[in-house]
Amino acid sequence: MPPVIDHKKCVKCGYCAQICPLDVIKIEVRGKEKKTVIKYPEECWHCRACEKDCPVKAIHMRYPLSHLMLHMKPDGGKH
Amino acid sequence: MNITKQNKIIKTDYLVIGGGMAGLQSAISAASRGLDVVIAEKADTRRSGSGANGNDHFACYIPECHGDDFELVVRQVNMTMDGGPWQDPTMLRLWLSRSFEIVQFWESIGIRMRPTGKWNFEGHSVPGNQRYHLKFDGQNQKSALTKAALDRGVHIMNKTPICDILLNDEGRVVGAVGIDISEEQPKLIVFQAKAVIIAAGGAGRMYPGITPAYMFNDSACPADAGTGHALAYRSGARLTNLDMAGGHAGPRYFARGGKGTWIGLTSDIHGNCITPYQDKPSRENGDIASDIWPGSYRERMQAGTGPSYMNCTETTDEDLEYMLHDAFVSEGIDSITDHLKQRKINLRDSMIEFGSYNIGFSSQGIDIDIHGMSTVPGMFAAGGVAGNVKGSLSGAVVIGMVAGEYAADYVKTVEECTVENHPTLQARLDQCNALLNRQEGAHWKEAASTLQNIMNDYAGIQIRSENMLTAGLAYLRQLREEAQAHLGAANSHELMRTLEVLDQIDIGEPFFLMVLNRKESRGPHHRSDYTYTNMLLNDKFQTIVKTKNGVVLDFRSSW
Ligand SMILES: Cc1cc2nc3c(=O)[nH]c(=O)nc-3n(C[C@H](O)[C@H](O)[C@H](O)COP(=O)(O)OP(=O)(O)OC[C@H]3O[C@@H](n4cnc5c(N)ncnc54)[C@H](O)[C@@H]3O)c2cc1C
Ligand code: SF4
Ligand code: SF4
Repeated sequence: MPPVIDHKKCVKCGYCAQICPLDVIKIEVRGKEKKTVIKYPEECWHCRACEKDCPVKAIHMRYPLSHLMLHMKPDGGKH
Repeated sequence: MNITKQNKIIKTDYLVIGGGMAGLQSAISAASRGLDVVIAEKADTRRSGSGANGNDHFACYIPECHGDDFELVVRQVNMTMDGGPWQDPTMLRLWLSRSFEIVQFWESIGIRMRPTGKWNFEGHSVPGNQRYHLKFDGQNQKSALTKAALDRGVHIMNKTPICDILLNDEGRVVGAVGIDISEEQPKLIVFQAKAVIIAAGGAGRMYPGITPAYMFNDSACPADAGTGHALAYRSGARLTNLDMAGGHAGPRYFARGGKGTWIGLTSDIHGNCITPYQDKPSRENGDIASDIWPGSYRERMQAGTGPSYMNCTETTDEDLEYMLHDAFVSEGIDSITDHLKQRKINLRDSMIEFGSYNIGFSSQGIDIDIHGMSTVPGMFAAGGVAGNVKGSLSGAVVIGMVAGEYAADYVKTVEECTVENHPTLQARLDQCNALLNRQEGAHWKEAASTLQNIMNDYAGIQIRSENMLTAGLAYLRQLREEAQAHLGAANSHELMRTLEVLDQIDIGEPFFLMVLNRKESRGPHHRSDYTYTNMLLNDKFQTIVKTKNGVVLDFRSSW
């Protein structure tokens, strides 16, 4: 679930769903209930556009373990 | 579910396919010349494409900074990643000579082209040469260009990917077909246009990425899936240089563009610099190693001499702070900053492993002339989808501008042509309905996975030969048949992805034909059965075009 939505903060304005370059996010309507869902998490580019543009800062990113940042101390991994 | 069809045909002079960097600039330039302009964009122009969150290097020639010796400028830019082979020299001169116009225009619409107050050039540079990459702050570039387009009367239709170009009997462009995906149920939209520009970006996701299970972990925007190339090829436009495609480099399992913004040194596991260009990290030059030889990370791994790292441990505190919290933000890659922070990785003491990314088609594609027009009358192209011009962002937007300007003259020479009964409309409706109604249809990812495997296993790096390529092409055709017969889509989003993969299969074909026909080794193209370089092909670009009488391959001189 790359972008994580804080549903307590989200005002369901739909802006993130509108601007996502990969059409990952949807506003689902069930009866009178609306919910912002990360419908296609595997299609997320991790670009942060949704996070930056959310008017109430309800989104933060979680970077999946598949996308791990491989890092190494320059002592050749001795420590 | 069925696809619906909008009755009203959208009529315009100039239809822009893709509101990315090239498309937005082209729309603005055409509208400024008085054309009626519509942009059809797959996502939303405020945040779409490879420039969605920003760019920060604009290759350009500013006479007051670089002097009057244009020949020197051309020679030196040719040594950077925005020059080099597989670009017609005339096209390099064209975008370079008009690059400053864009810089000035962008500054006038609120994009910070000199955030320090001065013209400041950084990164992608060869030590000892003048620097040509203007360090700007592009984080608002898409919203600023969108506003500038709207201010000039451009009509923007977001969430509307284009899937067909309509030609008349004479073979000239008269319109296009798009699909509105804003709702769960897709809607077909018909465009009548005197000219179109294909600005749909490069063709990514053709090869397995660094994390094959996560296909959207890509350095360029994964929405740029090759439809632009497919539209052109199916319409009979000439393509070029597909056989010369290579890949970028960056963090190994977290694919990001923007490698030129790192301030560090390519190093081995012990932190020793392994490139000949400089021995200290340099904010001014960046680390040009990954520009010159992006495949080196793969080659070192395969040779057992890897891994290779981006080593910022010797970078000054000030430069590190600047890179992570200023430059990466302007560039739109501050997901790296965020990711490092979340994982508590400190670049002061840790190096980041870099990897070579797989092949993508960007600056290999539609063969265009000095007006940005393809070989099909009324079909322009700019940006990653064009095949004989480079320059990254700068090349994309200057050619977008040139095309928009020329379109203003071109549309005066052609009559409007009605499209409501064009046979392509019914064919596309039928195909979409078949995909949407196929019970237990195959998911698009199944076909995408097989396409990527075929591309990699039969036309990958270092493994090309007559037998391998012949088999690969046969398998690609088998895949197309199976995909057409079995793919299914449950809603508009899946329909978009399904059509993307069918387009990708369509461009796999000319790619295979070109690599088969290039019976030599050169640049990124290695044939195990033709290991020599054929000098007779120096300065020649291979081209492919689909005609009524079959496919024609040729080698043309560069100009
Ligand atoms: C993170 C990153 C940083 C970069 N930094 C730099 C830099 O600093 N300097 C530089 O020179 N270059 C940089 N680049 C490259 C630069 O962004 C591209 O060269 C440039 O965006 C190409 O422009 P384009 O218009 O061809 O493609 P894009 O800007 O990607 O636009 C293509 C558009 O077409 C849309 N589209 C795709 N298919 C369809 C369809 N079928 N119908 C309708 N619309 C469609 C897409 O949604 C997208 O909006 C960077 C790239 C990345 C990813
Ligand atoms: S932009 Fe923010 S507030 Fe609006 S729907 Fe998305 S998460 Fe909710
Ligand atoms: S990070 Fe980017 S791709 Fe992912 S959901 Fe947000 S806007 Fe879409």
